[in-house]
Amino acid sequence: MSTSRDDFGIAIRSALLQRGAKQKFSLFVLILLSLFIFGLDISKLKPVEMLRSLLNDGIYRISAISSSPIRLTGVLKDSFIEHFFVYKENKKLKVEIENLRNKELNTLYLEAENKKLQQVFELDKKSDFETVTSKVIIDKNSPYLNSVIINKGSNSGIELGMPVINEGSLIGRIVEVNFISSRILLLNDLNSRIPVIVSPTGAQAILSGGGEKEPKLDYLPDNFEMAEENLVFTSGKDGVFYPGISVGKAILKNEKVVTQLFSDPTQIVYVSVIIDQPSDLEAR
Amino acid sequence: MALVLKGIRENFFKLGPLLLLIYICISELHTQFYHWKIFSFNLQFIIIYYWVLRDPDILGYGYIFLAGLINDVVLSLPLGTSCLSYLFVSLVAAYVRNATVRSSLFTDWFTFIIAIIIGNFLYFFLMRKFMNVNLEYSTIFYNSLFTFIIYPLFWTLFEFYKKFAIGRIHD
Repeated sequence: MSTSRDDFGIAIRSALLQRGAKQKFSLFVLILLSLFIFGLDISKLKPVEMLRSLLNDGIYRISAISSSPIRLTGVLKDSFIEHFFVYKENKKLKVEIENLRNKELNTLYLEAENKKLQQVFELDKKSDFETVTSKVIIDKNSPYLNSVIINKGSNSGIELGMPVINEGSLIGRIVEVNFISSRILLLNDLNSRIPVIVSPTGAQAILSGGGEKEPKLDYLPDNFEMAEENLVFTSGKDGVFYPGISVGKAILKNEKVVTQLFSDPTQIVYVSVIIDQPSDLEAR
Repeated sequence: MALVLKGIRENFFKLGPLLLLIYICISELHTQFYHWKIFSFNLQFIIIYYWVLRDPDILGYGYIFLAGLINDVVLSLPLGTSCLSYLFVSLVAAYVRNATVRSSLFTDWFTFIIAIIIGNFLYFFLMRKFMNVNLEYSTIFYNSLFTFIIYPLFWTLFEFYKKFAIGRIHD
């Protein structure tokens, strides 16, 4: 018994302290060094944070360059698929154009009505947000985090918590800001919680990411019923997100209400970070 | 001349596992898939475990530490999280190497479970304790399971690589 314990001790000691012919450091030294670095990083000291920010910027750039072959493969694959299904897609697009024409007429009517109502309430509504457009440089998934990295940071006025849109729809918020790069936490991440409103009933809910493509809608009212088309917008209740940013369409999936995002989180190339809110404070 | 060329070729192929490890950490190469959600695996664990166990001269501990640091930056984890996780996987591999006389696929494969459990537990513990993030237990479980299941495939590939590219038959 004691011999086997001795053997274990010797083997572990040897594994920890022994260095091979080409090993410059022992495992023990590197484990201690990792613990030291970990302690420094979680201490959130200002100089350490600045150093980390510089390190992030550098590694993100290298990562973006080294990922270019993978991106090229993706582009080639998409191009091949597009060519392969071009006839089918053409048919689908024709139907979509027809639907959009019908919707356009409806939108024109609503726009006119909206203008009229604004005149009635004397609101000077400026609906456009002030944004900074940037490019996604790294899109790496992990079991722990669904996020992407963009090529703009604090030098462009980006701050923590700012909402990020793609083609006019919300995709996430800023969770890390470096000098020339930032990280966006996507809506489908497990840690993403956004207060939303569901049209046409105006039901309030929380959009919760679960790691899947379609985040679910939590805390809907008990009497909530699905309409023909349920659109999801930010409610702005948290005071962080501006109200009225379109998010997606609520659908029923496996007896759960989930949101089909207008912007596919796997297909993001360019994004706009909302750095300022519209001037219609009264409207909000 | 032929000997010099052979030396250059051998040295180049010896760098293969290290380059692959660093590339996986730094690039967008996904081992986590959206469309088939439960299928994901930790290729870094496999590379580290195999090469530390079978041929430690190919993959130095210092480089493993560096790969961990890069992975932490790319995934926005506290610096040192992946380093610790990878170094503990290396520790298990080094222990198995010291404790066993003759290893085979099956001994490597089954001891790999211990390495996965320790590596993932450390990751999980540090994330829960020091980072305010939610983790989905099932995702981590499936990740560990598929990392374990897929190991023999990479073991065979690496054995083949070691034999034909690096020219090493014996451990």
